[in-house]
Amino acid sequence: MDTSLIAWSALLFPLVVSGLQLAVPVMLAATGELFAERSGVLNIGIEGTCLLGALTGFLVAWSTGSLWAGMAAAALMGVVSNAFLAWMYVTVQASQVVVGIIFNLLAFASASYAYRLFMGGQAGVVQVELFQPVHWGALSELPVVGPLLFQQIGPFYLVAAFIVLSYFVLFHTAWGLSLRAVGENPRAAEASGIRVARMRYAAVLIGGGAAGLAGAYLVLGRVGIFRDNVVIGQGFIALAVVILGRWHPFKAALAALAFGMAEALPLLLQARGSTLPTQLLLSLPYLMTFIAISGLLGRANQPAALLKPHLRE
Amino acid sequence: MTPQTHPLLEMRGIVKRFGAGVLANDHIDFVVVQGEVHALLGENGAGKSTLMQILYGMYQRDAGDIYVDGLPVDISSVSQAVAHGIGMVHQEFMLVEPFNVLENVVLGQGRVALAPARARLLALSAEFGLDVSPDVRVEDLTIGQRQRVEILKLLFRGARLLVLDEPTAVLTPTEVNGLFEVLRKLVARGCSVVIVTHKLQEIRALADRVTVLRQGRVVAAGLCVDETDEATMARAMVGRDVLLTVDLPPMARGEAVLEVRDLCVASGQGIALVNGVSLDVRAGEVLAIAGVDGNGQSPFAEAVMGLRPAQGRVSVCGQRVDELSPGARRGAGMGYLPADRRGVGRVMELSLEANGLLGQQGEFTRARYWLSARRVAAHAEQLIQRFKVRASSAQQLAGSLSGGNLQKLLLGREFSRQPRFLLLEQPTRGLDVGAIESVWGEILEQRKAGAAILLISAELEEVFNLADRIAVMYQGRIMGVLDRASATMELVGQMMGGQDVLGTVAEQTP
Amino acid sequence: MSRPWFVKRQAVRASAVQQAARLLGAVLAATLVGLLLFLPFDVNPLQAYWTMLSDAFFTVRGLSNTLNKTAPLILVGLATVVAWRAGFGYLGFEGCLLLGAVASTSVALQALPGGPLAAWPWPLLVLVCAMAAFLVGGVWAGVVAWLRVRYGGNEVLMSLMSNYLAVFLLQYLVSGPLRAPGDLPQSARLPISTWLPYLWDGGRAHAGILLALTAALLVWHTMKHLRIGYEWVVVGLNPRAASYGGIPVGRRIMLAAFFSGGLAALAGISDVLGSHHRLLDGMSEGVGFVGMVVALLGKLSAAGVAVSAFLYAGMTVGADSMQRQSQVPSSVVVIVQCLIILFVLASALLDRYRWVGWRRTATPQTREGG
Repeated sequence: MDTSLIAWSALLFPLVVSGLQLAVPVMLAATGELFAERSGVLNIGIEGTCLLGALTGFLVAWSTGSLWAGMAAAALMGVVSNAFLAWMYVTVQASQVVVGIIFNLLAFASASYAYRLFMGGQAGVVQVELFQPVHWGALSELPVVGPLLFQQIGPFYLVAAFIVLSYFVLFHTAWGLSLRAVGENPRAAEASGIRVARMRYAAVLIGGGAAGLAGAYLVLGRVGIFRDNVVIGQGFIALAVVILGRWHPFKAALAALAFGMAEALPLLLQARGSTLPTQLLLSLPYLMTFIAISGLLGRANQPAALLKPHLRE
Repeated sequence: MTPQTHPLLEMRGIVKRFGAGVLANDHIDFVVVQGEVHALLGENGAGKSTLMQILYGMYQRDAGDIYVDGLPVDISSVSQAVAHGIGMVHQEFMLVEPFNVLENVVLGQGRVALAPARARLLALSAEFGLDVSPDVRVEDLTIGQRQRVEILKLLFRGARLLVLDEPTAVLTPTEVNGLFEVLRKLVARGCSVVIVTHKLQEIRALADRVTVLRQGRVVAAGLCVDETDEATMARAMVGRDVLLTVDLPPMARGEAVLEVRDLCVASGQGIALVNGVSLDVRAGEVLAIAGVDGNGQSPFAEAVMGLRPAQGRVSVCGQRVDELSPGARRGAGMGYLPADRRGVGRVMELSLEANGLLGQQGEFTRARYWLSARRVAAHAEQLIQRFKVRASSAQQLAGSLSGGNLQKLLLGREFSRQPRFLLLEQPTRGLDVGAIESVWGEILEQRKAGAAILLISAELEEVFNLADRIAVMYQGRIMGVLDRASATMELVGQMMGGQDVLGTVAEQTP
Repeated sequence: MSRPWFVKRQAVRASAVQQAARLLGAVLAATLVGLLLFLPFDVNPLQAYWTMLSDAFFTVRGLSNTLNKTAPLILVGLATVVAWRAGFGYLGFEGCLLLGAVASTSVALQALPGGPLAAWPWPLLVLVCAMAAFLVGGVWAGVVAWLRVRYGGNEVLMSLMSNYLAVFLLQYLVSGPLRAPGDLPQSARLPISTWLPYLWDGGRAHAGILLALTAALLVWHTMKHLRIGYEWVVVGLNPRAASYGGIPVGRRIMLAAFFSGGLAALAGISDVLGSHHRLLDGMSEGVGFVGMVVALLGKLSAAGVAVSAFLYAGMTVGADSMQRQSQVPSSVVVIVQCLIILFVLASALLDRYRWVGWRRTATPQTREGG
């Protein structure tokens, strides 16, 4: 394997491009989760929501033939399933971590059940068509920017727009200000006339819709089939990305890109004849995430009310 | 006054119940006219805060009606209260720390154009002498400044009736004067102010009329402050004569038990919370540290007990304890009761037995590992008996006891160990008069037994009644130490306000 | 003004009777949903439930399987109790379990003919395997605790990530260094001297259940009678008060993590030395997560863990049997298992709201809001 400097730098560009493609679902889920955490709710159920979204997107796309219908259905599934989660977090005020973990188990079992139910009669593995990259004419042929920004699939651009919109909403609107207040000091927000419970519900639902879409993006944009473990930890990585990105949409997107690159690295290295064991390379994103939130890289200032339930007298 | 003029606010027959049998408000009538400062007086638990929370839409009343300008109103949420021109400044400020002043003021108002809002904020600030800048982050403001931001928030929303809940609890005497100026301007512009308080001198200084609540009922309505003396107000508040002085027998002061030299505590951001404090506490004396809450008392206490990293020297009976863990310091004869509100000295979800054990679990173990259930239970029973804690059994959860009752148990826990040194932080805050008397009695018993007691208290009455010597802490420094005989309210008050009347600080600064 | 169905009330703690009633209600509601899930598969639900029940508990083979599955669930449940009650939000029991399996396999493989431990008697071998597993699991969880205490790391996310790391490690080992000759991702069969003994001759139930019950007894005793148990409970409820009371919070958390990880690792040896007798890829079937659910259902007490582990193990065995017989996927049972605990958690809402729906019109003018 050529380990010279030129070879490494030649690796970098494809790494960024592949990394970006792989990072998009995590970016999407993380941006949605941003809203939830900024309102004070840590939604571990994001992993299960991605899976449910993946399943829904797959089933709907397969049965209707329309990929966009699949995406829409996945977003809807994300919202509906997280309505229950939001109820548990905000109204019942059960432990957010515990409910999230159980929800993930439930989602896993439900997805497995539903797949058997609807696809049980099919022989072999069922595939759906994937989204194809959008062509922007001359823009797509540009040297660096071309592959990076102008050869992506349709939903990519939606995600990018979502990230930009999120930044704008969170930091330049009154609603965003109220949401952030809820996450820092819910009593103060309440005293200002903000309906804390409502904002948290809304935030969790946004996160749910985004996570559902992220799952569908995985299936309909990359993998093409559904299996029980099509989502293996991307939801959890999204949680880490939110922390690393200091609860800011753009920084979180960058953090997601870093993880995407870690995911892309094994494939690229193997293509270049690396002999490192597969599993070591595959574990890289998870190891990176582990180190990133271990505190070895410094602590983060999280929304002060994160994980604390709000009791209204 | 024509018959058509209605009072600004009238609350009639307000009832509020909490759970089984706790009647916080028992058919209360309360009237506030335009352009007055009206004090709502009562002890802790009299129902004043509850009444105002109902007025502000944060609690829902069980019965009764509210009239603003003579018209009945339905207030079931904060935004409705605000819409009727009612505003409230709580004891704990409702500010979002990472936001700046402007963001805090416009919070919850829907879409607001920032430039006109900023201009209006500055105009209001100038008009009422609030002196607040819109772009400073709240976390960088002092407590007095934060209170002004709270008032500004209310004025921004067009409040005509401002309710201030214990406004001077966290202010220095100078800041209290500043508040008085602001209130005068408010009243001059036609606003009315309700001050919820239990401090008689505050009413004398600020209010026109006073309504007194006791145990959820009105015992005196709308008394004119100029025509009422403190004794009458106090009697209405407690229902009997207040014990104003305590007989403090002189004690021969022994050796220095606690010696603190140049103690410094820094916050996470590097700000000096305790700035070079040195003092001695001798056996058989009570040294009180007076001072408004938030001037470094809690960090100081935690540093002395080893719960917080600090620089400087702490010695007990001549032995350095700086290297010792909190548990080891207890073993060296140091006892500590933190302020009740901080939840540090107790675990609400555990039984009284378990709480009675806290801090001494090592003494109840056999063979290093085994907790002796029998001895633990006996110890708890003993505490309950001796300190007259009202509880049905030692297995009861700490959280089910009233604040005062639980405090008695915890004090008992510390006292029963006969420590050589006792650090008490706000030991009677939140207690009723009877409980306060019994706690004071126990403190004096410990003093008689030869313990060295360091009493941190924000209540000047407590300080003057119990202390042999009085120190004043301001901004993390000791402004001076006075003997009981030479201490006066003025001197102490000035030092609390940061004035170096004894030249102590000037001596220390190189 | 509309009258509400539910009315807010002062928070009260439910009595033991109320809690039992809620548990029963949750089980009933969940089984009802389960019934609905059976319908699309053209199966008589009640028949299916009965089959599940009898196959799990009323046949010797079924009971043996149930006991075998109960053991690791109890151990993971106990691990959850120790960690969570000490305030350590660890979710990495799956990883500890796998690593416990890895550690005990590594030791056990040394007892194959020709290996250094080949002549050792089985009690000693099993003991050494258990100690190795406990140590590895304890350190695995302890590292996460250390990072939290020393550097303020987020143990929830770290432990979730560590699960994946453990899975990859296992996969690497059974595809490479520990792989038996042949193509399957599994280790060589472990020598009989390392197998956990069977409870009765000719049966399949192994001594893992005894190990688990002993552990349950020890955990119960520790939490109730030993000083460390008291200290862990205080640390978990109120770390500042613990510190005030002279309890070294950081050290106690790390100790709790160590014991917790060790217990979860023992679940791994129960599977490896008791059931499979080799290391396999994909061997744990999510026990690391279901064990947490079991602990919650058991209200984080050792006795509760033992009982709910037995029930959940039975449900799993019954589900497997049902899937073989009638094509109904076993995931139905996991769904029901999760719904039970979710309903129990949701019923805590009743602590704060009172149902007045039937008496709406009779309510006097008292206004209450949500």
